[in-house]
Amino acid sequence: MTSVTATPARKEAPASRSVLSQVAPLIGVFALATLLPFVSNDYWALIGTRAAIYWVLVAGLNLVVGFGGHLAIGYVALLTLGAYATSILVAGNVLPPVPVFVALPIAACVGALFGVIVGLPALRLRTFYFAMSTLGFATIVTQIALAWQSVTGGGIGIAGPEFSAPFNTAWGFYYLCLGFAAIATWMSANIGHSRFGRALIALRDAEVAAEATGISKPKTLISIFLLAGALAAIAGGLFASLQTYITPDAFTFDLSVLFFIAILIGGRGSIMGPLLGTVILTILPEIAAPLAAWSTFLYAVLLLLIVLAIPGGIAALLDFRNRRPLASNRAIVPRPAALADIQRKSAGGRTLSLRGIALSFGNVRAIDGLDLDVQPGRIHGLIGPNGSGKTTTLNVISGYYASKGGTMRLGEDALPPGMPALRAARGIARTFQTPRVIGEASVLENVMIGGTIEGQASFVEALLSLPRSHRDEHMLADKARGLLGVVGLETLADVRADRLQHSELRFIEIARALMLDPDFLLLDEPAAGLSGDEIERLAGLIKAISRRGTGVLLVEHHADLIFEICDEITVLNLGKILAAGTAAEIRTHKEVVSAYLGA
Amino acid sequence: MLTSAPEPLLAVASLESGYGKIRVLHGIDFQVEAGEVVALLGPNGAGKSTMLRALSGLLPVNAGYVRFNGRDITNATPRESARAGLVHVIEGHRVFTQISVTDNLLLAGYDLSRGERAARIEEALAFFPEIAAKRHERGGALSGGQQQMLTVAQGLVRRPRLLMLDEPSAGLSPVLVDRVLDVIRQLRKQGIAVLLVEQLLEKALATADRVYALVQGHVVLEAPTSESHLPERLERAYFGHQAQPAS
Amino acid sequence: MLASILASGLAAGAVYALVGVTYNTMFSTSRVMSFTSGQLAMLGGVFGSMFMLKLGLPVIAGLVLTLCCCAIIGIVTEFVAVRPVLKNLDQHLYVLSTLALALMIQQVAAIKWGTEPQPFPKLIGWGNGVFDEKFWLPVAACIVTIIGLEYLYRRTLVGRAFLAIAEDNFAARALGLPERNLRIASYALAGVIGGIAGFSGGELLLAFFANGALLNFYGFVPVALGGLGNNRGAIIGGLALGLFQQAANFLVGGVFSSVAVFTLFIIVLLAAPQGLFGSATARRV
Repeated sequence: MTSVTATPARKEAPASRSVLSQVAPLIGVFALATLLPFVSNDYWALIGTRAAIYWVLVAGLNLVVGFGGHLAIGYVALLTLGAYATSILVAGNVLPPVPVFVALPIAACVGALFGVIVGLPALRLRTFYFAMSTLGFATIVTQIALAWQSVTGGGIGIAGPEFSAPFNTAWGFYYLCLGFAAIATWMSANIGHSRFGRALIALRDAEVAAEATGISKPKTLISIFLLAGALAAIAGGLFASLQTYITPDAFTFDLSVLFFIAILIGGRGSIMGPLLGTVILTILPEIAAPLAAWSTFLYAVLLLLIVLAIPGGIAALLDFRNRRPLASNRAIVPRPAALADIQRKSAGGRTLSLRGIALSFGNVRAIDGLDLDVQPGRIHGLIGPNGSGKTTTLNVISGYYASKGGTMRLGEDALPPGMPALRAARGIARTFQTPRVIGEASVLENVMIGGTIEGQASFVEALLSLPRSHRDEHMLADKARGLLGVVGLETLADVRADRLQHSELRFIEIARALMLDPDFLLLDEPAAGLSGDEIERLAGLIKAISRRGTGVLLVEHHADLIFEICDEITVLNLGKILAAGTAAEIRTHKEVVSAYLGA
Repeated sequence: MLTSAPEPLLAVASLESGYGKIRVLHGIDFQVEAGEVVALLGPNGAGKSTMLRALSGLLPVNAGYVRFNGRDITNATPRESARAGLVHVIEGHRVFTQISVTDNLLLAGYDLSRGERAARIEEALAFFPEIAAKRHERGGALSGGQQQMLTVAQGLVRRPRLLMLDEPSAGLSPVLVDRVLDVIRQLRKQGIAVLLVEQLLEKALATADRVYALVQGHVVLEAPTSESHLPERLERAYFGHQAQPAS
Repeated sequence: MLASILASGLAAGAVYALVGVTYNTMFSTSRVMSFTSGQLAMLGGVFGSMFMLKLGLPVIAGLVLTLCCCAIIGIVTEFVAVRPVLKNLDQHLYVLSTLALALMIQQVAAIKWGTEPQPFPKLIGWGNGVFDEKFWLPVAACIVTIIGLEYLYRRTLVGRAFLAIAEDNFAARALGLPERNLRIASYALAGVIGGIAGFSGGELLLAFFANGALLNFYGFVPVALGGLGNNRGAIIGGLALGLFQQAANFLVGGVFSSVAVFTLFIIVLLAAPQGLFGSATARRV
């Protein structure tokens, strides 16, 4: 008999406590950094300045590589661009000379533009291909810097911008760069902890599910590329000033490697980890002088060790909260009654109807003329042997496949074929045959992702931590906690999702799907892998969801569940409807029974 | 004098297996005697393919054991279990389309010596003259039914003591289905045991000596095919606890 | 001028094509695109120069030793950077592990061998001018390799086992093929092919540690153009790339030829992500 861990009354979300625990270490690092001048000499000023400048770039790149999962190995290209842009503007080679504090924002704009250009292939190319394309960019930028002698000075180079007092001393410049680094940290942390950061991680680890919740890959990525490009260009301008004189040789592939590895050693999805990684990698060659020649080799060894031994990086090492053991006999106890407090009652009225849907994969007719109606507030079961087209039907409704002919309607409006990211806004949510959940994120964050498109604040508002962004976060967190309470998992809200059992992941998917108060909920074999008790509770939960006015389309193999809760049942076989009717009619239908027994 | 009953060819106890976190088989007990044909039935998602994969080593066994021919082969690799005589023909008539029929069979005999390999291939092809006629054609040029026969022939190259067939009739015309079942009968005459996962209830009952029914990862029925009212008992087992009204 | 472009273009193209085949050979048995492919070609040149010039060994011995060393590096790739991450479905890990290993190889070469390009000896000494050995040797090596691979895949059991694993890994495992051993063997084979690329291209590219990164990219373009795992596409793509690059070199000048190559690469990839001859990617959902 499994013991049931007590489900306490819903606590007030301790939002302030978790934010503080994330921010405090960062503040600590910067506090220490400000003390540096008092404990060391000019040499370390140089090292510290360099680390700060690198971090300005890495803070932005972290969002692309760490959060987004796009392996932009050649990002030194943007450092180069920013360095040359700033230097050229200040020197006045092309336009009249411009003060350095005006040149930096202009360079940032150039960087933002090229950040998008370098990053756009990520929308179409797979991991390795994209990595290669960024390498190519890096080569091109260096080549152009070498060749365009009239502007860049070619191989001879160009003087870096100079700052006026008080920033022209070693420590003055150090504090300037530290200031930029602090701002870069603040901005990237704001994005990382906002719905945009979560959307990035969702696109990285569960792209199909992210699309189903309405997250737009192009929009999300373009915003990030703009930011990362701008930060990299500013870092370039500062770098040029630090070097006092830049040539194309200064921008080696080794630098790109340093940036990239700092993020991976630090850990994906973290701000603190890559910050420490950058500092460590910058300091490493200085601490042991004989190692300087081997520094890139050591970076590579570190990377290999991290990949093989601690793929989560420094962030995983510092994640003490997720080391605490979980209760082993956890039971999932949903509270369907609580749904009324959280979910809007569906306006109802519109039926989801399919007529004449057909789809073939090569020679196989997966669906052959399907008619189906899902009415609001009712549960429609879809059953059939393997290969009968059940999941394919869900995928057509979700928009992952476009049917050849036939129509799909939501009330009077047609649902366009394809375009899965638009379904969430139309009120259609779903779960998947195998749970598509982000293992590295917490349970709460996973559920919050379901409501991403309900956020009101824009990317810039999130970047600058403006009030509307905070309201978004509170709204999403509160709603997510509420739904976790409904599905019975609120005690696990802060636990990393990959520590959970399979059945718990299924309920998390349901909570995520409910975040947008969908008019229609498509469930793909939600009972697979669940125990008898859990299936009972799942049944109660689905019934409560439908009573709120949501139309449910349930694909299942578990005959008992189907017959217990479904109002209508459609039976598919080889892509065609074998029978349709009420549960009582289907259960005794001779042909259905034979189809299952294969006579 | 007490003599213990001879150990069955295949003995499975308390078997648990699944895909990563998803547990599919919950404590299966099961056995196959030498020379008998056993059918494994059940609705989709019950775990029939999972069971075969756990037995041959394609999936990890999380609990319980598998004993074959007196030896423990729990978690042996597919190569090791094939060498021991437990051969698994997977579902979906997956042949290698880019190489010839003969090559497909040669690969089945990868571990054998050259001469032995050639001899075994002829043995296997003797069961399937239709394939023998096409021995130089590419695997991709065969029809679905012929490809299915080729996969069974691949299994036979290994000279199995127990041949496990996963849905050999899937997608085949009725004529070809009977062909395959005919081959199973021939194997039985030669003393080769067969474990058959099948969807077609009547055909399975006609060919097998015993049946097991698997529902949601549990064995719910075990009976010799000679028993009466098996179809009705199976129907009840598939559709849950409620009794079916008389049809 | 045309003859010059043809000669240098085909020669460079043959080297790129062989590196592409190296990528494909590693990919076909493991589904991994390895950054060590270009490094193996670099080592072909570096080891060759080391054995023949520094240690004074005769050509044949130098070739055999070089290929053995490259095969070993190929096997090391499998052990260190591929096998441990194969179980993880996360795509990015193998990109990182092979990148780390490639960087390590490159750095060791830079430090131990030196950062200046070293000469590569003349091997046979036939031909001069447009028909100089440095032009026809890579092409000849490419042809010999293709013939050798054809023989391997069509006539030997091991070769057919490679094809089986490449086509349907699960069915091959179920059939009882020794998957791990075959994978190790194919990585050794990939090492040898990379070594051949570097050794035959030694006079053209010299023994230079930076060749690794260069060939990683230029050897990847044929794979991207020809489709993953498609050797014929890689050969055609490689030769086409070599000719295009040398033509651009002569017409527009060195710097802009790499811009031209890269722009072409990006355009083709964005238009046809699976390559010009490749097949569509698998279902996502």
